[in-house]
Amino acid sequence: MLSLWRKIRRTGRVAESAPPLPDGERPERAVVLGGSVQIRHVDAGSCNGCEVEIGSAFGPVYDGERYGARLVASPRHADALLVTGVVTRNMAEPLRRTFDAVPAPKLVVAVGDCARDCGVFAGAYGVAGAVRDIVPVDVEIPGCPPRPEAIVEGLRKLTGR
Amino acid sequence: MNLAATGMAAAVAIAVLTALLAVVVRTRTSVVGVGTALTGVAAVVAGAAALAGGSFSVVLPGVLPLSGVSLTLDPLGGLFVAVTGGVAVAAGIYSMSYADTPDLRARGVRVALPLFVVAMVLVPAAANVGTLLVCWELMALTSLVLVVAEHRRGPQVASAGRWYAVMTHLGFVSVLIGLMLFVAHTGDDSFAAMREAGRHLSPAVAGVVFVATLVGFASKAGIVPLHAWLPRAHPEAPSHVSALMSAAMVNLGVYGLVRVGVDLLGGGAAWWWLLVLALGAVSAVYGILQAAMSSDLKRLLGQSTTENMGLVLIGVGAAGLFASSGDRALAALALTAALVHVVGHAAFKTVLFLAAGSVLHATGSRDLDALGGLRPVMPVTTAAFGVGALAASALPPGTAFVSEWLLLQALIHGLPAGGVAAAIAMPVAVAAVALTAGLAVATFVKAFGVGFLAKPRSEAVAGAHESPFTMLAAMGIAAVVCVVLALWPAGILPAVQAAAGGVAVSGDVTLRLNQATGALSPLLLTLGLVAAVAVVAAVMRAAVARRVRREARLWDCGGGPMSARMEYTATSFAEPLQRVFDDVVQPELDVDVSHHEESRYLVQAVEYRRKVPDRIERRLYQPVLSVITAWGRAGRGLAPGSVHRYLGYGFYAVCGVLLLLAVTR
Repeated sequence: MLSLWRKIRRTGRVAESAPPLPDGERPERAVVLGGSVQIRHVDAGSCNGCEVEIGSAFGPVYDGERYGARLVASPRHADALLVTGVVTRNMAEPLRRTFDAVPAPKLVVAVGDCARDCGVFAGAYGVAGAVRDIVPVDVEIPGCPPRPEAIVEGLRKLTGR
Repeated sequence: MNLAATGMAAAVAIAVLTALLAVVVRTRTSVVGVGTALTGVAAVVAGAAALAGGSFSVVLPGVLPLSGVSLTLDPLGGLFVAVTGGVAVAAGIYSMSYADTPDLRARGVRVALPLFVVAMVLVPAAANVGTLLVCWELMALTSLVLVVAEHRRGPQVASAGRWYAVMTHLGFVSVLIGLMLFVAHTGDDSFAAMREAGRHLSPAVAGVVFVATLVGFASKAGIVPLHAWLPRAHPEAPSHVSALMSAAMVNLGVYGLVRVGVDLLGGGAAWWWLLVLALGAVSAVYGILQAAMSSDLKRLLGQSTTENMGLVLIGVGAAGLFASSGDRALAALALTAALVHVVGHAAFKTVLFLAAGSVLHATGSRDLDALGGLRPVMPVTTAAFGVGALAASALPPGTAFVSEWLLLQALIHGLPAGGVAAAIAMPVAVAAVALTAGLAVATFVKAFGVGFLAKPRSEAVAGAHESPFTMLAAMGIAAVVCVVLALWPAGILPAVQAAAGGVAVSGDVTLRLNQATGALSPLLLTLGLVAAVAVVAAVMRAAVARRVRREARLWDCGGGPMSARMEYTATSFAEPLQRVFDDVVQPELDVDVSHHEESRYLVQAVEYRRKVPDRIERRLYQPVLSVITAWGRAGRGLAPGSVHRYLGYGFYAVCGVLLLLAVTR
């Protein structure tokens, strides 16, 4: 226990200083949320590259939570969905149901090139489409995979902080 | 001839008549059922009359050789007669359609049912040792016939019957030895004479008598470590017989203990009652722990009987302890709590066993892991079991709450009384009662939630149907009694006080109990609870009324639809508890993982087995059984099948006896 405290003291603060608030329009429905957005992540068929980057976006260095975004365990608790990957046939229906399960007002963030326009998997036999073909998308974050800074920037468009 | 005597005579007459009818003509099952129920009604009347003060005494010298039959009904006996009668009413009505199966229509079974009831009714009314022992044995034999009634179902029924026969007869022998020793020192086997002489027995003799009778009565009450027969016999017996055994017969063990220990021996030393208290506490905790792990519905109920008898014994032990330290008022309170628990337990265990029988009747299964989803198809049975489960958990609108609350009151008030022994025993007993109460809630949530709610887990359950009217009526009667006992315990308190006061005479019992009942009003408590729920519901409705509402499908992780395989089972529900009590129950776990032939990395099947063995049974009974088996095997050499040799044995044995007589005389 003591060594943990010592480690904490020695390490200090590792979070990078907050970049300026990104410009670009903020979705209307996000304003109602008042700067606090609870997010449920859905892997619709990702290669897990985006998941790694989301993991670091909420890690101590980029610390997404200080802008009011937070990952939760159920769509029932969520305001927004964070969808990664191309939507495969098996995940199309679960994605629709997850979207239905989120209480209104709700937002969808498509993370990564696959989620935006199927990326390298476009036209593959198991692919049902990009995220916007299945559920309405509010914010898109490009990149393959997007850098954690980009993900944090996309989420700050929702929280407005 | 007063009401008590008339009721008693009517009970005996109706039961014997029903049994005769069943022997002579091919009566219908419903006739036996009605006869049994009427016997019960007569017994309730007799018991109630005795509790109201109308005791009677009758001696019939010609009926039994040597001692004759002598019957007396005092308030203590009256309470047990009334409880037995009440259970018999429900069981009799229930059996009218439940017992209409080829196995239960057999003549012996039909004859045994009314005789079993009347034997149980006569035990508390016996006024001398001879009558008591004859009725006790009649009760044991008739119940044994009933336990093995469905022996065609499988070898486990016969095994249960053997266990029951051996345990109950060992208990009988123990009671016999104790009472014979007692009678040898008093010279007269009537209870009145023994009560007089009991005060003057030497402590050593009194102690031996008490311990011997305690062993016998405890084995009848299913007290640890003599409980081994109970979780075997109760599940295998037909359900109305399980109800009679579990709700009425085990009580007679408590009756015997109170009658001999408190009444005839007049209290005795503190260590007797510390022993009773310890046995009670161990039984309560161990019984409910086993029940919490069990996934067989009727076995669970049987183990819960051990728990409840343990609680009763805690009350009796505390009463004896207080009485030996001179605190009569507290003794009466503790004994009252124990007797109230006897009454409440009889009521809810009847409901529970009858409801379990109804489930068994409809689905053919008593495995909780295969049940579930019974609410839509068996609404009445589900409601009855729900009432019973609530009554068995020591929570406010429940029957057991009243008695356990009284018991805790007695134990907590007992702290200043008594010496070092009481100062150590009472807090431990309080902790045992509290732990038992908590585990009982978990057990009955499991039994009700897994057994009756959610989705059906097997084909048999999906095709279930509600039971016939008479079975529902019997469950309904018992459930109503449960609710009345839970909401208005003051109704039976004077009667129970009379029974307790009859043995632990005290002036200020009434005062104490009035205080106790004044402080606790289950009716108000329940009304408050209902009002609180109503207010919360109204506030919630008002709060959401203005919001826009949207129908959404149940969240099933998007994969849906959920299948019955995803539900909690009885085993998985008990898993956390099993983990907590790992050192006590020592479950045997077995996980088999088989792999695909092509690759060790692909799993083909995972098999999980869990067994919770009875540790006490294994440690205590297995060595004895293996010694007896070895003995039997060794003895086989003596019986090679030669007639000459057997004649020789006889000849030498007679010669030996003659020589012995010649030498000793």
